[in-house]
Amino acid sequence: MSDSIIGAAVSRIDGPDKLTGRARYAGDFQPEGMVYAYGVYSTIARGRITGIDTTLAMRSPGVIDIFHHGRFPRLHRSPGTFAEENVVDEKRTPFEDDRIHYMGQFVALVVAETYEQARAAAYKVRVDYERDAQRAAATLAQGIEDNGVEHANDSERGDPAGAYDGAAYRVDAVYTTPVETHNPMETHATVAEWVDGRLRVFDSTQGVIFTRNTLSRVFDLDPSQVEVHADFIGSGFGGKLWVWPHCVATCAAAREVGRPVQFVLPRQQMFTTVGHRPETRQHVRLGADDDGRLLSIRHETINSSSPVGTVVEACGGSTQGLYACDNLRISHATAITNRGTPTAMRAPGAGVGLFALESAMDELAAELGIDPLELRRRNFTAHDQGADKPYSSNHLLECYDRAAEAFGWSRRTPEVGSMRDGDRILGWGMAACNWEAMRNPCDARVALRADGTASIHCASQDIGTGTYTILAQIASHELGLPLESIHVTLGDSTFPHGPISGGSWATATLLPAVAEASRAAIKKLKNYARNAASPLAGARGDSLVYDSGRLSDDSGRSATVAEILGAQSLANAVGEAHTGGAPDSGYSFDSFGVHFVEVAWEPEIAHLEVTRVVSAIDAGAIINAKSARNQVEGAVVMGLGSALLETTEYDERNARPVNSNYAEYLVPVNADMPDLDVILLDHPDYELNEFGARGIGEIGLTGMQAAVANAVYHATGRRVRDLPIMLDKLIDDD
Amino acid sequence: MDSNNAPTDVAISLRVNGTLRKLDVPPNVVLLDALRERIGLTGTKKGCDHGQCGACTVLINGQAVNSCLALAVVHDGDDITTVEGLARDGELSPLQQAFLDHDAYQCGYCTPGQLTSATELLNNDSVGSSDADVAEAMSGNICRCGAYKNIRAAIQQARGNPGLNQS
Repeated sequence: MSDSIIGAAVSRIDGPDKLTGRARYAGDFQPEGMVYAYGVYSTIARGRITGIDTTLAMRSPGVIDIFHHGRFPRLHRSPGTFAEENVVDEKRTPFEDDRIHYMGQFVALVVAETYEQARAAAYKVRVDYERDAQRAAATLAQGIEDNGVEHANDSERGDPAGAYDGAAYRVDAVYTTPVETHNPMETHATVAEWVDGRLRVFDSTQGVIFTRNTLSRVFDLDPSQVEVHADFIGSGFGGKLWVWPHCVATCAAAREVGRPVQFVLPRQQMFTTVGHRPETRQHVRLGADDDGRLLSIRHETINSSSPVGTVVEACGGSTQGLYACDNLRISHATAITNRGTPTAMRAPGAGVGLFALESAMDELAAELGIDPLELRRRNFTAHDQGADKPYSSNHLLECYDRAAEAFGWSRRTPEVGSMRDGDRILGWGMAACNWEAMRNPCDARVALRADGTASIHCASQDIGTGTYTILAQIASHELGLPLESIHVTLGDSTFPHGPISGGSWATATLLPAVAEASRAAIKKLKNYARNAASPLAGARGDSLVYDSGRLSDDSGRSATVAEILGAQSLANAVGEAHTGGAPDSGYSFDSFGVHFVEVAWEPEIAHLEVTRVVSAIDAGAIINAKSARNQVEGAVVMGLGSALLETTEYDERNARPVNSNYAEYLVPVNADMPDLDVILLDHPDYELNEFGARGIGEIGLTGMQAAVANAVYHATGRRVRDLPIMLDKLIDDD
Repeated sequence: MDSNNAPTDVAISLRVNGTLRKLDVPPNVVLLDALRERIGLTGTKKGCDHGQCGACTVLINGQAVNSCLALAVVHDGDDITTVEGLARDGELSPLQQAFLDHDAYQCGYCTPGQLTSATELLNNDSVGSSDADVAEAMSGNICRCGAYKNIRAAIQQARGNPGLNQS
């Protein structure tokens, strides 16, 4: 059991809860006496509030109170740093003043006895505005024009400009990506209650510790006076990493009205006040020699940011080290638009950065007349030139080989439109994936219990990636107990300090801590076993051997955990651990992969369909073959949405997001699923942690849009450099 | 009419997962909020409140309906099945078991809606047997985590069509 449980295709231990409705998400908690809050949101994007009239709304049935900038407690801003674990992207607190910075900003919050009453009253709040004389910048282009470009950072090696000028083959292209909205199925929700000056919050958060720390700063409390719970999260994709205004407003309202308050963000406001992937404009220049070897790479990005917080989309992060190239320049800059602040969205940086780089590589291959896969093979590097360190484990070439074989890439004919399936034109494209692997410090507590089971506690979360299950697998492995005997409890900020569920680092961070705590629990059990009341009393410490819930000594005696603890009336033997961040071992830690995509194009009826995807992923050791595969499959689906469907569109006249609902912001549905084959390499990366896992949540998204765009080019001859690839970009203007 | 008058509550009864529930609801309460906030069955989820995502799907007299678009008062006397009513005597239904086996979810938030829609599909002879038929029939239930392949496979297993047109 213990040898095979790691890597096994184990069903989720939290599955039955999710399948029966027992799993409780933030909005499912209903403390005694709970009342409901509903927001009022700005209908202009730039200006000030000149008046708020709540007379009619206050007379509405069931209303308890209405909060706005003229009636709200004074709060404090969070310092908003990663080091202090209190990041916020929108720096101001809600209702701080009368300024309006974006459409959909909170201008009032109504609290009433029922949800329907709060909503009805919110519609009756009258807000008057005065627009600024200067227009609200609705798009990145308008933001650049109105507010200019603010440099964020850059890095350079060699002489990229000189090398480019001397290169035999060049690509010089600008790629753009639109605002994408995370849109997890669960909209953001907060249930807040105050008991004796202590704040207790059920929140849809990817980080109970970060949320606790932020709220403790906002309300000037000791962190021990704030409790944040997130048993289940209806996913987040980065949108729920940090605290947003609704959470602060709900906590404050609960304190003011003296009752627990529930707030659930309407889907429409998912597009305004809880972050998004920013719009990007990426200028890529590549230079190569006759053999296709890269002589120069320049990747310069400007992304849309906001007046209420600057977020830099690090599109060039992967560009630094994915390919061998001595001359390189990366830069990032922002321009202010009148939108709520952007935030991390699944694979921030590389998620759209590789659309540009991997599209440019395809353009370069076409220039050179070299197969796109061969071009990438020729530029492979096992050494991360960005950090000037070798990669700890880089099996990108094997990804290429195995996925190309499964896809049948060798049968590709290079000419545009040259491949057919009946009347349909087929296009075959590919692109590489890359994501940095990270690991952070972590605490965990594991208890061997008198009933023969074990428990794990950690202030981390399972946002749907399978964290509950892999932690049970690790403990099962270490303790030699069956999976069903391991109870994992997460999502509570009072537990030992755990990581956010983000950056694909939860797995690499949590596994060593849980393993170490498991071993500490065994050590503690051995201590107890030598006590007088124990069946193994008097055993020499180093003679005790633990195996599958049983200790034996060298005199032939043996006893179970239950017998040892039970004889002493002890509840458990507790092990605690603190494990560190990524080791400073002289390596760069990255995951790699490749997507091969087939599209079918029917020009007569302007129908484009992704018919086939083969992806090979090198993400270190696979801990759970079932949930890991699901992560990559889901990332491919999101990548397809990003490639073909997703764009938050803003009215250029007033900066209003106009398609702020699931009917008009299109995401893939079941019928959009192509034939999908995911190959997981499963090569452990022991430099990063003892289990060799690097995390797998984000890698599968990267490169996906480029693989589709490159397939579209192969089918149609149209190089679409502006996502998403909608039909208007594939058909003639006339 | 004075818009500030409280709407008059209406007495209705719903048979929810076999249990008769009598409640007084204002006429503007949708079935979703009645189930969650007034009856306390929070398994049914709110995803969009606009009938666009399918997370709130329940069975009304056996038919899959977006409960966010159904006024509670209209369903007086109706038979409602929610995700809490799919298991029998603590045993997962074959469909639920298939979802577990195939990992047909990630975060689980759309799962109640996927399960109730698929429960109706199992009894719907007009949906063909191919994977594409299932995919089409299930396209009113968005899964942002993208577990569509596994959802399809789970439903096909529960329909007794394993391996049919499997990708």
